[in-house]
Amino acid sequence: MIERNRKLFPYLLILPAALVMFGVVFYPFIYNLVLSFSNMSLRNFREWQIIGFDQYYKVFFEPSEPSFYTIFLKTMIWTVVNVTFHVVIGVMLAMLLNRQIKGKSIFRTLLILPWAIPQYIVALTWRGMFNYEYGSINLLITKYLGLPAVEWLRSPTEAFIAVIITNIWLGFPFMMVIALGGLQSISNEFYEAADIDGASAWQKFRNITVPLLRPVMIPAITLGIIWTFNNINVVWLVTSGGEPADQTHILVSYVYRAAFGLYRYGYAAALSMVIFFILLIFSLTFMQRTQATKSAY
Amino acid sequence: MKNYTLLISLLITTLLSGCAKDDRLHIRIWHQMQVAERIVMERQLDRYMQEHPDIRIEMLYKETEELRNDFIIAAYARQGPEIVYGPSDMIGLLAMLEVIRPLEQFFDEEYLDKFHETAQVWYEGHLYQLADKLGNHLALVYNKDILDVPPETTDELIEIGKKATKDLTGNGRIDQYGLVWNYTEPFFYVPFLAGFGGWVMDDAQEIPTLDTEANVRALNFIQELRDIHRIVPREADYEIADALFKEGRAAMIINGDWSWGGYMSAGLDIGVAPIPRVSETGLWASPMVSTKGFSINENIDDEKLPLALEIIKFLNEPENQLEVTREVKTFPTRIETYDHPIVTEDPILINSKRQIDVGKPMPIVPELRAIWDSMRPHYQMVLNGRKSAEDAARDMQALAERKIMEMLE
Amino acid sequence: MRNNAKFKKKLADAAAYLVLIIFAVIAIYPILQVLSISLRPGDRLLSTSLAIIPDDATLAAYKELFTGRPFLLWMRNSILISFVVTSTGVVLAALAGYAFSRFKFRGRNVGLLSILVTQMFPATMLLLPMYIMLVKLGLINTFLGVIIIYSSTALPFCIWMMKGYYDTISPSLEEAARIDGCNQFAAFYKVVLPLTAPALVIVALFSFMTSWAEYVVAAQVLQDTNLWTLPVGLQTFQANMSTEWGLYAAASLIVSIPVVILFLMLSKFLISGLTLGSVKG
Repeated sequence: MIERNRKLFPYLLILPAALVMFGVVFYPFIYNLVLSFSNMSLRNFREWQIIGFDQYYKVFFEPSEPSFYTIFLKTMIWTVVNVTFHVVIGVMLAMLLNRQIKGKSIFRTLLILPWAIPQYIVALTWRGMFNYEYGSINLLITKYLGLPAVEWLRSPTEAFIAVIITNIWLGFPFMMVIALGGLQSISNEFYEAADIDGASAWQKFRNITVPLLRPVMIPAITLGIIWTFNNINVVWLVTSGGEPADQTHILVSYVYRAAFGLYRYGYAAALSMVIFFILLIFSLTFMQRTQATKSAY
Repeated sequence: MKNYTLLISLLITTLLSGCAKDDRLHIRIWHQMQVAERIVMERQLDRYMQEHPDIRIEMLYKETEELRNDFIIAAYARQGPEIVYGPSDMIGLLAMLEVIRPLEQFFDEEYLDKFHETAQVWYEGHLYQLADKLGNHLALVYNKDILDVPPETTDELIEIGKKATKDLTGNGRIDQYGLVWNYTEPFFYVPFLAGFGGWVMDDAQEIPTLDTEANVRALNFIQELRDIHRIVPREADYEIADALFKEGRAAMIINGDWSWGGYMSAGLDIGVAPIPRVSETGLWASPMVSTKGFSINENIDDEKLPLALEIIKFLNEPENQLEVTREVKTFPTRIETYDHPIVTEDPILINSKRQIDVGKPMPIVPELRAIWDSMRPHYQMVLNGRKSAEDAARDMQALAERKIMEMLE
Repeated sequence: MRNNAKFKKKLADAAAYLVLIIFAVIAIYPILQVLSISLRPGDRLLSTSLAIIPDDATLAAYKELFTGRPFLLWMRNSILISFVVTSTGVVLAALAGYAFSRFKFRGRNVGLLSILVTQMFPATMLLLPMYIMLVKLGLINTFLGVIIIYSSTALPFCIWMMKGYYDTISPSLEEAARIDGCNQFAAFYKVVLPLTAPALVIVALFSFMTSWAEYVVAAQVLQDTNLWTLPVGLQTFQANMSTEWGLYAAASLIVSIPVVILFLMLSKFLISGLTLGSVKG
């Protein structure tokens, strides 16, 4: 009896959360899976039929500008660069805030602001700051650094950099808060012992901080990657829907375009299934390599 | 413990609120009106509800793009508002998706004849929208503190523009521009395309017509305005242009009737004029003219239908249209209002009418969306100097044809 | 020798301050711009001037916000929804995370992965089926509808976060507690849970933000103006090419205040705990 209870216990703990999550996601997911094999579109909106793998074929082989593979590559760069900076800046600031210095609470509050403020207006503010003639960023570059002004929003590469900068700004406080929480789980005794052994700051970081921060950071990073991969808002707002010349899209922008621009629901559903599988494969590999599902002790 | 039960039951009632109301005489209107328009319609509906206390009418604002998407989703699930109010360019799409009802059987010909022809929006032989506002069009707006007389031709535009483009502080940066506008967006480019004799699609509204000499010349014209005559800023989007004009740092702006009220309330002394004729061709630069009005949800309850129609008729009464016109300076659609002093004596409305008369009706077919999306990238490549106008015109056409094919798959 | 160490410490502190100041400036500059917009008359999003407080500054937007618009009603709705989502998120994630961290059971790895799976699908495409589902369940136009969706959005991260944090706590603590006579649940509740305060704070903040800032679902589901949340309400200031920028900026700043307050209230759990007791001069 007790043995059976013990086996059931973890399931009981998980059940409420599982009901909420899968209750909400299950039906939409199946619905989309079905749509991705259908011809639902402007002409076949109410009465659509299952047509097989056509939409998937189109995702990979239908000519588009820029092509699926170019955008995929861009999305990868977008994701990797963003998450890397989020984590590096976030962990760095958290470690600084964890020191015994005065005025910590003021810094902590100021640094969390980018997370607290509604994205829409700050993204547009950043767009303004990147303006060629009047933006404060070019002013900084020309007046104080003496460099030539940059046409941020008119050239594809610069525009892409501009969006990434904006998104890094929006995202680092989140990672900072998580790292701050994670650092609390590390007992000072470890550092004291290392001090006695004469370890350098880098050695302490490498051998104590990183491994003990890992269990908390890995889930944040995994989800950070998934969210960034699918984050349409910032790109859309800063580049005003892919400007210049549709060169700053990521994959999800195409889902949006297909579904709500051309009303190709079947195609959009297939494309989102592809995105889903890309992220699934990534997560599986990433978790295996980081052993995220294992415990630390 | 008792307290908890009370608290929880209270919480549950709050969470589920909104579903236990009598909605038999409840009409919902989803719309995308900006604040000034919204306030007038709310006031009119309040008056209606005072006369009919048993009726509840509720307005719900959504941004244009969202209005369309949210309405489609809701209607697909057999839900949504009874009335949807928006620009006519969404009508083709909504009709094609069969989410709005044909209206011709509900309004007799005698009644419809009281409206400007453009205000009756037909698609594939059915009436789908009855409009109360005519326009939504671009025109030339000028700051009277800087400019006395607006240009009539593009040559004058360039000449006046050059005079008004100034480096006032002598620091090598231009402090005042002759002309600003959101020129990187195709909708704001189209007037000049028309001025050079072109248009976005053929008269049957089926095939895009972008690979034309007119398009090439118009593309070059915009680029010359910026790079040779230098009367427009190197980089301008809607908000930059708007800010420059509001700060008095631009003599002229090309912007739509929705923006004029804002300029006046920002304290500017403005004049409105038609966008100049293109000197080379002698043709007017023609902005797209559309309407905004009412459509009815396909899923409306039969018992609510008469009431919805009555409300549409009420809001379209001449007095009510004139009230809107007086306050937000949009152009009415009831013909009998056209000789009313509110319309005939206001200089802004007079010039707005001149612009409407030389404008071209905006296509309402869904294909137009594909055309915008095809023009935008290549147009911007021309502006960035990465593509010649000839190549861009050809590529726009090819992309538009392909997108339309994809759209109609 | 001792002086040298002190000097080193001072140098490191100075460097820390420098970095913190630089990032603080970067963090607040764009927000000062938003402040500037909120004070600017005439609804201008952009300005050619770089002054933060414009010459013609006015508080008209703030006044209009509180007197002319149902801003406080939206705030009440948002607080109610966020409160429920946060409580749900914290409780359910604390339980589920514990199970994933401490027990080896059939389906554990698959379970952990499938939690992530719910986040991988582009949200754009979930809108239509989600709406149909809520219609079928009669949850359109109710707070409950959005609360369920928000909870399901917030939970995956919360569970993983909790699981990760439990992993850093040695199981020997519970074993000791159980030897003392606690049952399984009591060992978890009385011994382990208090130690996870920092993670609970993160989970609470995250759940709160998920519901506080969400717009798309709320706009779809809440069709009665009395039920609107802050993001939906704010959207009424925005119109295609004629946004009331002053109001929008003022509201955005005020919207972020509760988040900052919540953070300040909770942040003592983010910095206290193990490190504080062992400071040595």
